[in-house]
Amino acid sequence: MVDLSIQIRDENGVAVVQPEGFINAHTVRQFESALENLVAAGKFTILLDCQRLSYISSAGLGAIMGLIETVRENGGDILLCSLQQNVFAIFDTLGFTQLYRVFASEVEARQALAGKTE
Amino acid sequence: MKTIPDPEVFRLVIPSQTRYLNLVTGLAKRASMVAGMDDSTAAKVSIAVDEAVTNVIMHAYGGETDHIVDIELRFMPLALEIHICHTGQSIRADQIILPDPGEYVKHPRKGGLGLLLMSRFMDEVHFLEGKERNECCMIKRVGT
Repeated sequence: MVDLSIQIRDENGVAVVQPEGFINAHTVRQFESALENLVAAGKFTILLDCQRLSYISSAGLGAIMGLIETVRENGGDILLCSLQQNVFAIFDTLGFTQLYRVFASEVEARQALAGKTE
Repeated sequence: MKTIPDPEVFRLVIPSQTRYLNLVTGLAKRASMVAGMDDSTAAKVSIAVDEAVTNVIMHAYGGETDHIVDIELRFMPLALEIHICHTGQSIRADQIILPDPGEYVKHPRKGGLGLLLMSRFMDEVHFLEGKERNECCMIKRVGT
């Protein structure tokens, strides 16, 4: 099993990022590069589907924090969905659930985004 | 007859390389469950250990990969003690400034969250400075 693999697809202008494995100091550069490439390509609405993310450390949180201002300044956002219990605990413990919109599923997240653009 | 050490101790020594982090966190999670913690608590302990070992590799050793990180798990009657020892740069208690999560939400910035996660997920976190080596000691009590 690889430490981290990342699938990215476009859903009506939303970049859906699906990390599988774990994000820590060893894998964070790969995760950070994936997000940076999206932003560089003008993809400012990013949905992180964390269904297959086993855990994320502060290194991974830092990668997200590092881009949040840029995407929001460009009219986009970073949303989260399908968080496993321990991943949710990390975000919630640090108060990040106030900073990011968190959804139970990808469908719910995309519906919320569609409502915003209607 | 061989005697079992009191407390029962498990040691893992790794090179100061981040590629071993997952090995360490997996062990920490399993050890937490052996100590009597539930899956959710064990996951939090493993994250705290990831943060502590990352701090040693990236900050105490400055990212140098040819050093040693010595991780000792002590199974106490009602707690798991985790001692992470190294010979790199020490961190003094007065150097530790935990970020305020509320401020983070108001003014997002990159970095500085590892110590906060450690302090939130563990019952005690201590940084000890020795003559020959330094140590981060974290304690998680069973049932908290």
